[in-house]
Amino acid sequence: MNWLTTVPLQAYLTLSAALFAIGLLGVLIRRNAIAVLLGIELMLNAANINFAAFWRYGATSSMEGQVFVVIVMTLAAAEAAVALAIILNVFRRFKTVNVDQINLMKG
Amino acid sequence: MISALWHAFLAGTFWHPLSFVLLAAGVLGPALGVVFSRNIVRAALWLLPCLISVAGLFVLLGAEMLAGIQVLIYCGGIVVLILFGVMLTHGVGDPDIRVYNRQLWWGLLGVVVFAVVVSFALTAQLWPPLPGQLPPNVTGRLADALLGQYVLAFEVASVILLVAMVGALVIARGEPKE
Repeated sequence: MNWLTTVPLQAYLTLSAALFAIGLLGVLIRRNAIAVLLGIELMLNAANINFAAFWRYGATSSMEGQVFVVIVMTLAAAEAAVALAIILNVFRRFKTVNVDQINLMKG
Repeated sequence: MISALWHAFLAGTFWHPLSFVLLAAGVLGPALGVVFSRNIVRAALWLLPCLISVAGLFVLLGAEMLAGIQVLIYCGGIVVLILFGVMLTHGVGDPDIRVYNRQLWWGLLGVVVFAVVVSFALTAQLWPPLPGQLPPNVTGRLADALLGQYVLAFEVASVILLVAMVGALVIARGEPKE
């Protein structure tokens, strides 16, 4: 009954895989570009959980896992800002943010 | 089974798995809300409990600094930014007629394939058990690593943040009126 006292690494990895799958589903099936962005945030969080879990269960004497999480969060903030600016511009031009109606470059 | 549960409860070792289960439910349930709620404002607000539960997982993993950054940047920054984006594009509370595109079944198929591949990879590997106690002063060592060994990555990330901020301003301002 080891899982009653400690949480195995597989539990964290399974959780983050499930979160990643949900985020991927959001990216694939939603029409609204902002909802697609929400799915991307979920996937980034899944990756962060993995980084932190591997840090805890691997070598806690070095700090690579946590440093990676800090950098990923910074880049997530930058990505959200740029993506929302692009969505704003697209809305101004096409009067919609539904990704299946923005097909100007479709051949 | 029941007696093992009871012994773990008596020994006080039960809080760690129990809080993991609660936090996992707090991550996955709101994540489903993010993907499947029809109103985009509600979807963005469902992101909040999900991100706060991820911060709880960071605490459980012994990374308190990451939990603080998570709450500050994600819950305080990114969710508010996304809500502003919703406000500026869509009209608050506008319920979409059709929220899913035509790839609904293909998307579900792709996610199921992904889940199968990942679960195969998870079961094919023998993962290490939890090592003993954490060394003291994790946050201080994170600061030493960020401003010592990894200072180049830190500075590059801050330059990227600055460039992205200026770029977002320029893009969002649009063309000047004649």
